[in-house]
Amino acid sequence: MNEVVLSTHQLTKNYGKLCAVNQLNLEVKRGQIFGMLGPNGSGKTTTLGMLMGVTNPSSGSFSWFGEPATHHTRKKIGAVLEHPIFYPYLSGQKNLELNAMIKGADPNNIPQVLKTVDLTLRKDDKYRTYSLGMKQRLAIASALVSDPIILILDEPTNGLDPMGIAEIREIVKRIADDGKTIILASHLLDEVQKVCTHFAVLRKGKLMHSGPVDDVGKGEETVEVMAYHDDLGVLLQEFVGSGPIKKENGVFQVMMKDGYHSQDLNRFLFERGIVTSHLTTKKKSLEKQFLEILAEAH
Amino acid sequence: MLHLLQIDLKKMTSYRTFWVICGLYFLTLGFTTASGMEILKWIASKFEDFGSSLNVNRIPLYHFPDIWQNLIWVSGLFKLVLAIMVVISITNEYQYRTLRQNIIDGMSRWEFVLSKVLTNVMLSLMSVGMLLLIIIVTGLIYTPELSAMDMITGSEFLFAYFLEIFAFLSYALMLGVFVQRSGLTIVLLMLSHMIEAIIKLNLFRESLEPSIGWLKQFFPLESITNLVSLPFPRYAFQEIQDTVSITAVLIALGWAFLFNYFSYLKLKRADI
Repeated sequence: MNEVVLSTHQLTKNYGKLCAVNQLNLEVKRGQIFGMLGPNGSGKTTTLGMLMGVTNPSSGSFSWFGEPATHHTRKKIGAVLEHPIFYPYLSGQKNLELNAMIKGADPNNIPQVLKTVDLTLRKDDKYRTYSLGMKQRLAIASALVSDPIILILDEPTNGLDPMGIAEIREIVKRIADDGKTIILASHLLDEVQKVCTHFAVLRKGKLMHSGPVDDVGKGEETVEVMAYHDDLGVLLQEFVGSGPIKKENGVFQVMMKDGYHSQDLNRFLFERGIVTSHLTTKKKSLEKQFLEILAEAH
Repeated sequence: MLHLLQIDLKKMTSYRTFWVICGLYFLTLGFTTASGMEILKWIASKFEDFGSSLNVNRIPLYHFPDIWQNLIWVSGLFKLVLAIMVVISITNEYQYRTLRQNIIDGMSRWEFVLSKVLTNVMLSLMSVGMLLLIIIVTGLIYTPELSAMDMITGSEFLFAYFLEIFAFLSYALMLGVFVQRSGLTIVLLMLSHMIEAIIKLNLFRESLEPSIGWLKQFFPLESITNLVSLPFPRYAFQEIQDTVSITAVLIALGWAFLFNYFSYLKLKRADI
């Protein structure tokens, strides 16, 4: 499972004086759901454009499956960059047939992928009559049509309503369960934290951070405590594991020192005869970490 | 190769504009070339209005071997319609950004250009096939005394016709790749001959004409026109070029190659 599917080496793209992607080194392994995070204009799409052969790199290199990329490697990748792109005068079905022809995929896959994205009923309607959500779903269908090893999705929930976003998230999770490698570019941090196993943060074309999502907030724990006791605040300060304590809406938020966890705090309170009515462990959210990473860069 | 042609045809065959333009092209081409006798009769009737007479049967418009060059020259006038179709086909790919998605899906840039060039070859061959049919049928009907020799003489114009169409479609494709917007490309395409004529007019002033006048034949659009020269002055007892000039073929071939090569070069270097 540790096979490297994508690696980039000093990948760079300059537009005149503007450096859109700056000496990027990335590695994605098989089975990872790899989130690419970054503010708008941080170089996510430019990077993916280079990886998919539509943008010529200024310098540096990349390889798919350990080999230098050709158009043949792209056939093994399903990718949607920025917006769904289809022939507006063709039906969804015909558009997918065309994708399958280009990718050299079996057209018999089409009914299955249409079912995956729930478009079977509208398959014979022209693409231009589709709603934005349907267009996004057709794009995912076209990426899946060749049963690719890797899926690249760039802002797949852009411009969708909450229901559309939920639908796409479900589809992505289902695909991930099939064991495919997914590269997901997004600025929706919540999205990435829910779906991804690994993530990288880009800013102004530079890689700021790269690592597993599980590592986010490691070694730093905040415990939310509530109890029907007047001196709870004082008691909490007596606990040896307590760091700074904040009170918000009647809930105490205790930043734990290294090596102390919520069960230690719970035991401490219980021994003093206090039963908590609310106790939650909070890891640092990806959003917080993301903002920290971006702030460090300044 | 066939696979690439199929891909491009798949894009076009569900596109109504494609059928309308191609339908109009082949209909007007067919009707015009087949109704030359009617046109002659109409001209003759106009002559009579002015008190002179013209015996249409003495003009061997549809007689082998004249028919080859006559009909092929007339057909060449319609190639602009086909070229506009080619412009729409390529500029759509830019407008809808489907070119980008085609590359993402695994086409190489070379394959993309080739798929368009192959469609151009097919459209040119269809024009040739259609004309061959009309020439054989009308020639057999109107030629008073048939001889195999007469029928074959002049058939080399068919190849010149193919090259004429193909080179012009290649030019249209290149224009589309460079300009990328359909309206502007079509206007430029229609003005091309005029622009080239103006350039030649300014370049080759009368004093220079004898020394470097021969350079004219190397101009791209002139090279396409030179493949089949205007045949009708021969009926007014003037000298005409009534064979296909090898030089003209070589120059036009060179341009056809360059047009497509430039398209590829532009596409290869572009971020799309």
